[in-house]
Amino acid sequence: MGNKKELILIHHDMKGITLTHSVNIMLTPEFYTLKKEAIPVKYAYQAKRIAPSLFEGLLDENSRYDYLVWKESKTSNEWTFIAYDTAKIAEFLASKGLAFSQVAKVFFAQQSLGLFESAMAVGEDKVLLAIDAVIVLLPRMLLSQDERPSLQFSKRFTPQKGVSLQSTQTSFVSLSQSIILTMLFMLFAGIFAFEGYTLAHSGGELQEELEALYEEHSSLSSSYTRKGILNKYQSLDKKERQKRDNIKQLSSMIFKGVTLNSLELNDKKWKATFSCQDSKVAKRVKDLSQKYGLNHRNITGINDVIIEGSL
Amino acid sequence: MSWQRYTKELMVLGALLLMLGAFYYKMSALNSQSDTGSQSKASIAQIQEVLALKEIWVDKKLAKKLEKLKKILPVSKVKWHKKGKKIDAYFKGLTARELNTIITKIFNLPISITKLNIDKKALVYNVEFKCKW
Repeated sequence: MGNKKELILIHHDMKGITLTHSVNIMLTPEFYTLKKEAIPVKYAYQAKRIAPSLFEGLLDENSRYDYLVWKESKTSNEWTFIAYDTAKIAEFLASKGLAFSQVAKVFFAQQSLGLFESAMAVGEDKVLLAIDAVIVLLPRMLLSQDERPSLQFSKRFTPQKGVSLQSTQTSFVSLSQSIILTMLFMLFAGIFAFEGYTLAHSGGELQEELEALYEEHSSLSSSYTRKGILNKYQSLDKKERQKRDNIKQLSSMIFKGVTLNSLELNDKKWKATFSCQDSKVAKRVKDLSQKYGLNHRNITGINDVIIEGSL
Repeated sequence: MSWQRYTKELMVLGALLLMLGAFYYKMSALNSQSDTGSQSKASIAQIQEVLALKEIWVDKKLAKKLEKLKKILPVSKVKWHKKGKKIDAYFKGLTARELNTIITKIFNLPISITKLNIDKKALVYNVEFKCKW
């Protein structure tokens, strides 16, 4: 990813630049402090944790430093530590016209140690070269007559791992936080979308049942027709059930000593006349009538009971 | 200040918006399903009620069943007049047992009873019965 972008070598004597696209930058030793130490730790994060103590007394106490740590080789315990002041780097870049946002990745010259087979000219009077496996910036005049700076700086110097200045400055969330949040939101988005899709396509069960009913009873597919039929049968059902219930209640009033004299029933009302053998039986009939919530009345002088109701 | 400086925030914001969009989609689907579902449920209930009522009150063999009713009693006791889907009947001189039988049969048929007059004369009953279906 880093190799795709242009790589610019940053040094104090550089001229101002104007860019319209983002670039990678490589810093000369002027911008960082290097230390190599053999430490018996396995992982870079462990080495990074002890980095501040290694640079104690070497760095400006008023500045805030960040650290880059890597292991020289897998077999040795030797670690390379680089301490850099992000704010100062940013300030320098700004003074050269390089906006902070235009810097994709920051690399350090030490990271490309293997490529410094000879000296590289930096500005008009300085050179970058490797001495004892450390990249240093020296005055050009220190080179001997036959030692010409032949190395040309190019994109091929881009190391694999770099530092993102943007992640250390003006960010409300760190890279790891943003990745976690993004993944979390994406996960929920996926769940919600799946649920939504399932809901949108699962409402079919009732619909299918309804379609099957429509197919089987095509005359009932119109709600208007259904309502009409329903009204007709509901009123018929209600009225006829009431007639039958009332007759059933009247039947239960016919017992020993009670005779049905007459019954008149039509669509609107009904009236039954019972003849009772004595007042005791008549009272029982009236009690039953009361229990069923029916109207009753006596015929004066005899033990006949009239029970009536409307429909 | 450039938006590129806030790439991470934009990434989180984008994911958040996507999540909110998906949530809105889910809620819309839920509401829509609930509306469609309740409409379908109501229609199904209505159809089932119509079918249930029809099953009770529409009997294709009703005419035959009514004819049987006529034959329960001796011919001399029955006056029977059928016109279309209406019956006008008169039963005379019924014993209490015969009255009970005929009334039970009548009320077990899916018919609309428009008139039922029972009148006791001495020890027998005369019944005037009108129905339609």
